[in-house]
Amino acid sequence: MVLVLALGDLHIPHRAADLPAKFKSMLVPGKIQHVICTGNLCIKEVHDYLKTLCPDLHITRGEYDAETRYPETKTLTIGQFKLGLCHGHQVVPWGDLDSLAMLQRQLDVDILVTGHTHQFTAYKHEAGVVINPGSATGAYSSITYDVNPSFVLMDIDALRVVVYVYELIDGEVKVDKIDFKKTTTQNAN
Amino acid sequence: MAAGPIESAVVESCVVEGRRFGDLRGVQWRIDLGILPSSASSTIDDLRRVTANSRRGYASLRRQLLIDPHVPKDGSNSPDPVIDNPLSQNPDSMWGRFFRNAELEKMVDQDLSRLYPEHGSYFQTPGCQAMLRRILLLWCLRHPEYGYRQGMHEVLAPLLYVLQADMEHLSEVRNLYEDHFADKFDGFSFHENDLTYKFDFKKFSESTEDDKGSEKSPGRITSLSELDPKVQAVILFSDAYGAEGELGILLSEKFMEHDAYCMFDALMSGAGGAISMAQFFSPSPYGSSHTGYPPVIEASAALYHLLSLVDSSLHSHLVELGVEPQYFALRWFRVLFGREFALEDLLIIWDEIFACDNKKLEKPCENDADSSSGVLNSSRGAFISAFAVTMILHLRSSLLATENATKCLQRLLNFPEDINLGKLIAKAKSLQALAVDANNSAPVIDHTGVYGRSQPTVIRGHSHSVDLSSPKTPLGSVVPESYWEEKWRVLHKEEEIKQNNAEKQVPTRRNGWSEKVRMRLTRTESDPTSSIVDNGRKVPKSSVRRSLLKDLAQQLGADEDAEKLIDDENIEQEVPGDVVGQDNNDGNFTCTSEQSGSTGSAASEQNSSIFSDPPSPISDANDHGNRSERSSVASNFSANENDANDNSAEASCTNLEAPPLPSSDPPHGTSVKSEQSVDSGGKGPAGLKERKLLSGKFQWLWKFGRNGGEGTSEKGVCDSTKAVNCGINPDDPAVSSTVDISSNSGISKGESVDQNLMFSLRNLGHSMLENIQVIESVFQQDRGQVGTLENLSKNVLAGKGQVTAMAALKELRKISNLLSEM
Repeated sequence: MVLVLALGDLHIPHRAADLPAKFKSMLVPGKIQHVICTGNLCIKEVHDYLKTLCPDLHITRGEYDAETRYPETKTLTIGQFKLGLCHGHQVVPWGDLDSLAMLQRQLDVDILVTGHTHQFTAYKHEAGVVINPGSATGAYSSITYDVNPSFVLMDIDALRVVVYVYELIDGEVKVDKIDFKKTTTQNAN
Repeated sequence: MAAGPIESAVVESCVVEGRRFGDLRGVQWRIDLGILPSSASSTIDDLRRVTANSRRGYASLRRQLLIDPHVPKDGSNSPDPVIDNPLSQNPDSMWGRFFRNAELEKMVDQDLSRLYPEHGSYFQTPGCQAMLRRILLLWCLRHPEYGYRQGMHEVLAPLLYVLQADMEHLSEVRNLYEDHFADKFDGFSFHENDLTYKFDFKKFSESTEDDKGSEKSPGRITSLSELDPKVQAVILFSDAYGAEGELGILLSEKFMEHDAYCMFDALMSGAGGAISMAQFFSPSPYGSSHTGYPPVIEASAALYHLLSLVDSSLHSHLVELGVEPQYFALRWFRVLFGREFALEDLLIIWDEIFACDNKKLEKPCENDADSSSGVLNSSRGAFISAFAVTMILHLRSSLLATENATKCLQRLLNFPEDINLGKLIAKAKSLQALAVDANNSAPVIDHTGVYGRSQPTVIRGHSHSVDLSSPKTPLGSVVPESYWEEKWRVLHKEEEIKQNNAEKQVPTRRNGWSEKVRMRLTRTESDPTSSIVDNGRKVPKSSVRRSLLKDLAQQLGADEDAEKLIDDENIEQEVPGDVVGQDNNDGNFTCTSEQSGSTGSAASEQNSSIFSDPPSPISDANDHGNRSERSSVASNFSANENDANDNSAEASCTNLEAPPLPSSDPPHGTSVKSEQSVDSGGKGPAGLKERKLLSGKFQWLWKFGRNGGEGTSEKGVCDSTKAVNCGINPDDPAVSSTVDISSNSGISKGESVDQNLMFSLRNLGHSMLENIQVIESVFQQDRGQVGTLENLSKNVLAGKGQVTAMAALKELRKISNLLSEM
């Protein structure tokens, strides 16, 4: 019953002023156990805000981040799942599933969370899951201007993860749910 | 039915013993609490059925309220993600409820982890803790108006313990009477070497009479009906094939949680009776009560009411000290004495409590149309309050011996371990009838009212009627303001006085006296150190105060008239010179010497302006002012007694901190005089005003005397006053400070007696210091004769200086006398 919040690409203050109000009202401290952020916050104030949601905060460096000391990639284990975190601008072509799968194998994780494209995607790939939480503020990207604010909340429970996707479409919060179960087969070494 | 006679025989024999299932507390309590039918004619079957129903109820409640958000509520449709996502703000969403439950659980866990550590081998096991947690959580969810309050877990724990004890008893019986517990369904027990034709029909017919399934192997064991009835009951309760099958087993480990929940629920909700424990946890007033007080406060007041009927001296003693009943009674009531006794003793007490009927008692209809008065209005409630009173009486000697409210509370809250419980219970039973009557007489819960009744005794002849209508809060909040404002004004006024030595004839008496008062205030404010700074001014001030006190003393016309007259003359000599520098004083003093009454009135008017918000008009309506002052004094008194206001408590703290000047014994003397004058009943309005001043001092004195005395504060007062009377008059710095301090202490009561003692001692020390400083200053003045404000009166000052020095010495002597007395 671990709740993990995954978000990124906020680009505050350069491209967006703040999270959408509806998102902010939902993100109250006390419910979420971990926060993972793909990067591009960009300033320290956003970091502090995320810290108030939950003290366990993991960030990887995006190309516009002011803080230069975030790592490029990060891995952590929550419950039975291994999570991998990377901003995604390092993986070329941006957003390409196969390249991301290479990164996943490289990090040896079950769930890989990347960003940079500002589009929500969630792929089930081989034995794992590749998730892109999109941009939480709806900031424009190098690829497109039409961005819906979105973020992802994962409910990790033993061998099962339920991915809730929150998107702000036309001013309304839309929630979608995706179920993933981890198969117990071991990866061939 | 063949089994009928046997059953009824079982039942009757049980009932005859008085307590139907004395050995099986779990069952007995369930009957007492109303879960199981208590009528003598209810059969075992009935008991089993009722038990089964209650267990079903709990099971469904559990299913309904305990939430696993992963499991969709209905198997078919999965919940809409928009509503049922973890971050949903929707209060109805599963996740929302899940998080709320999680919060409740956290609160409950905090308490559970500290539950009965001395019985940790049972209570701290994870299984037991899980059960307790679930029960509490479900009860709180079911009763959201109460929520979870600390203490509920202690109400629940003994219930669970008792069920566990029953289980252990059951296993003992099982060991003894193995054969009866054999798992037989239809009453047959076939040995393997039985051949049907050898079957003993006689024995078979016997066994069919008992359709509970208890079996006798041929010829070996006694029949069920021949067993001890209690054992029979145990066996029948645990029969897996009786009514309702396994669900009906009264003593069942599997359903301990269910049973405990039912008992807890019945206890908390009162099962339709008068007492429901839940009330003790609720902050809101009981439904049909007249007063707006929470039920715990009501019950505590009822407790004190009963105590006052039973033992009024102890009651008044406790009230004097300011020990309000709810300080200790809250814990007693909320946990039904769970924290005061060991678990085994507690079970015995609860046996008695539950044995009492919980039906609401009808008041004999007098004036009130709506009957239920108070929260303890049943025989069970009466027993509870009677038991609480018994506990207080048990501590009687140690409570009366201590003059310290904190110590009293400590004794009450740490009830001794070695007690004869039987005696306590017997005494409580004897008081129970009285308690019922007490409930019927509907004690008034009005805070001032409850304790107002005891006030006349405490005030000791203070003939003023306690004016309960005068609000305490304004008093408490006004005084600090005006006090500090006064100080500020005084400081600035001092500057003025320093600069312009002009002859200001007393514009009105009021001004003069206000100045005196202000000076008095500065005096009280300034430390002895500052007195060194203001040497010049100090002396006249002190003489002013002295004369003031002289006036007061005069009016109160006590035994020491001769002394006073002598001193009066002395002061009158000083007066003219003294007043020169302080022009206002001049006029006032002359007035004083002539008409002490009028000056006194002015003084007291000034004081009243400090004390009460509407300053009484000086010139006219003296009586009016007197009365208002009287009432304000009285309210001061009541405030003193009642220990109610936090405001005033804080104010008192600040006030007492700021004026370090002690109120020493002389004020005691004068206040005693005031008392006497009060008794003598009338020196006119002025006298009343003086009385007001002095009653303030009297309060202080009384408090002081209480501190010093051994339980008879009056005696202490008399003693200290006697000691003091000789030195009463030349009571210089102490006087005004006394007045202020007494006024402060009058206004603010919330001081613990300990603090008073500390303060009084400190004040004594300060007064001694001051006196010494006075003497020093006088000598300095004699030497220097420079730099004083009163340039005109240097020679007079010298003379006055000697007098003041003498006065100071006298005071020192007085103080030492008092200290030696203490």
